[in-house]
Amino acid sequence: MAVDLPIQPRRTSKALRQKRLLIEAGIVVAIALVLILVMPLVLTGFRLGLLGRFLSLAIVALGIDLIWGFTGLLSLGHGIFFALGGYAFAMYLQLTELPAGQLPEFFSLYGVSSLPWFWQPFYSLPFTLLAMVAIPAIVAGLFGYLVFRNRIRGVYFSILTQAALVVFFNFFNGQQKLINGTNGLKTATSVFLGQQVGGPEMRYFFYVATVIALALMYALCRWLTSGRFGRMLVAIRDDENRVRFSGYNPASFKVLVFAVSGAIAGIAGALYTVQSGIISPQAMDIGFSIEMVIWVAVGGRATLIGAILGAVLVNIARTMLSERFPDVWLFFQGALFLLVVTALPDGIVGWVRSRFGDRLPALFGGPSAVPAYVAEMELEAESYREKELADQ
Amino acid sequence: MSGALLNIDNVTVSFDGFKALNNLNFSMNEGELRVIIGPNGAGKTTFLDVITGKVKPTEGKAYFKGSDLSKHKEHEISRMGVGRKFQTPRVYLNLSPRENLELSANRQKSVFPTLLKQTPTPEKRTVNSLLETIGLYEKGDIPAALLSHGEKQWLEIGMLVAQSPDLLLVDEPVAGLTDEETEKTGKLLMALAESHSVIVIEHDMEFVRQIARQVTVLHEGSVLFEGTMDQVQNDPRVIEVYLGQEATVTPEQMLILRIAASMAWADDNFAPVQQEVILSELSRQFASDPAGQQALREELQNYLAKRIPLEELVPQLQTPQQRELALKLSYEIISSNTINETEARVYQRLLSLLDLPPETVARLEAAALESLKS
Repeated sequence: MAVDLPIQPRRTSKALRQKRLLIEAGIVVAIALVLILVMPLVLTGFRLGLLGRFLSLAIVALGIDLIWGFTGLLSLGHGIFFALGGYAFAMYLQLTELPAGQLPEFFSLYGVSSLPWFWQPFYSLPFTLLAMVAIPAIVAGLFGYLVFRNRIRGVYFSILTQAALVVFFNFFNGQQKLINGTNGLKTATSVFLGQQVGGPEMRYFFYVATVIALALMYALCRWLTSGRFGRMLVAIRDDENRVRFSGYNPASFKVLVFAVSGAIAGIAGALYTVQSGIISPQAMDIGFSIEMVIWVAVGGRATLIGAILGAVLVNIARTMLSERFPDVWLFFQGALFLLVVTALPDGIVGWVRSRFGDRLPALFGGPSAVPAYVAEMELEAESYREKELADQ
Repeated sequence: MSGALLNIDNVTVSFDGFKALNNLNFSMNEGELRVIIGPNGAGKTTFLDVITGKVKPTEGKAYFKGSDLSKHKEHEISRMGVGRKFQTPRVYLNLSPRENLELSANRQKSVFPTLLKQTPTPEKRTVNSLLETIGLYEKGDIPAALLSHGEKQWLEIGMLVAQSPDLLLVDEPVAGLTDEETEKTGKLLMALAESHSVIVIEHDMEFVRQIARQVTVLHEGSVLFEGTMDQVQNDPRVIEVYLGQEATVTPEQMLILRIAASMAWADDNFAPVQQEVILSELSRQFASDPAGQQALREELQNYLAKRIPLEELVPQLQTPQQRELALKLSYEIISSNTINETEARVYQRLLSLLDLPPETVARLEAAALESLKS
């Protein structure tokens, strides 16, 4: 074991880590500014709307990456949380600007004369904004608590999430009198902050909101996955039973991270809904939830940037392909998934990282498995350069 | 016993009717280092499972520091001060040794303190000194997946210590290690035993001899025997369960074998030819038919690797015949290759211990040379 190293390696210094973090934050802000300021000039309104939707899908991909990539929980039912967030916002938009005592239009079709009780709080914007996050989080937390407490793991967990998805889908699909069933809730003509949701000003507003939300969710996931908590997630993924014998209760960690992931999906669902103009039980289609997993796999598991890239790139590819060859998309998506699983098991980012190694900024997940002494020598070289500069 | 650190009271664990543990009673005091041995399927790992809460006893109770373990979950038992090292090294491969240790060293293991607080400086210091102790300081920041098997074993032992448990459970720590690594692991465990109570489960008898003070032998889910290593090795029941057959070697024969082995070890060089002499001579002495001799040879081979001081062994010889046999055999062994100074000295010691008349000695030495020629 006693390897003779030229220099005694120490941990990456605090200053260097802070510097890396600053660079990363700078890159995130720069990308956000490009998306907000430059993209509207480059893209047509329609294309910008598409990009906004893709970016909101990238948010849900971040949530999937958090639980799958880092914690090893493969959820095939994130459509639930996505839809819950979407429905929460859409319900508010049905009620806003509505004359007192009047019901949203669809209720009259089914002979409903008074607003169902659970719609009442959605008159309030603050409640709605809270509910968008809290309802998916609570549902995810409760589901997680029941499942993880009973030590259901692996493929059984995945099957359960999908079963839950089917339950929610059927419930929302069948309840015309409560939430307009299969038709869903339309938001395009609703008014938000004095503007029509489907109008150009609001569309740009929601686009900007999506970019900001994505940056914030990235920061949140970055915080969660670095530090002790993040290492705990990896430890749970690597060997959950060992974690127990070290004195941790993995179930509570998993419940928390699953709830956070649900909340992130809820935010994504709300932003997606207002940008596409409708939320319907189709958001809880099994295929859609599986697609979310594919985005993360394509981009690269356990690399947050990979989740974002995967979601955006796969959806751009989908749009371009289905515009020209409407029928081939599903085949292409299947082929893409097979390709990634067989040829690029670590996704795009994993491939880039293994090709270009350390020359990437921390945004791509930071330096990977470099022997510590290499990093240390770089550090030494850097401090030497700094000293030289100071001497001059 | 009150005041015992660990007390297993009549515990039975059955899986679908198969009793992995059967009315097991075990007790251990604070500060003790206890080695548990037993053939495969004796229930050693189940025993650890009961202590760590992985398996609940079907009957009976297990107490740690006086509290009933069946009422607690694994992580709670771990927080009460029981640390466990698994048979195969189980470390978090995608984390560095330092991160592995930091997770174990964490004093507040519920979700929110882990999320919100930084690792406190004292814990960082603990981790650094642990990295030194287990010899992984240089490799502290590379993924644990890149460590060798032995390094992973040490890392896991380090993780145990980082938890600062009162009781360490160590399951086969030297399985798959080189001799050098085994010795190092033994030293590490001995150092730990100075400040912790330790239970070690082990197959490797050489290693057990290195570290053992008190040994418990498990067989078919119950305690078969408890005692010092020498008592254990001479106990016919233990020999029987270990070899899965009737013991063909009597304790007296075993004693003679031991003396012979000590002679062979005298110059720290147990040559194959010496082993050959012992085996063929003894199997001839103690078994009549060739099949019996062959079986005995294989059985004896297991006991040759031990070194016990002659002063301990010789007084146990009962009859003059045994003394004579021991002498003859020993002389044969040292004569099987050129006698060197050390061997000669040890032989002189044996002679004085045996205290036989000079003419008998001369007669036996001649007989020994005779049988060596044939």
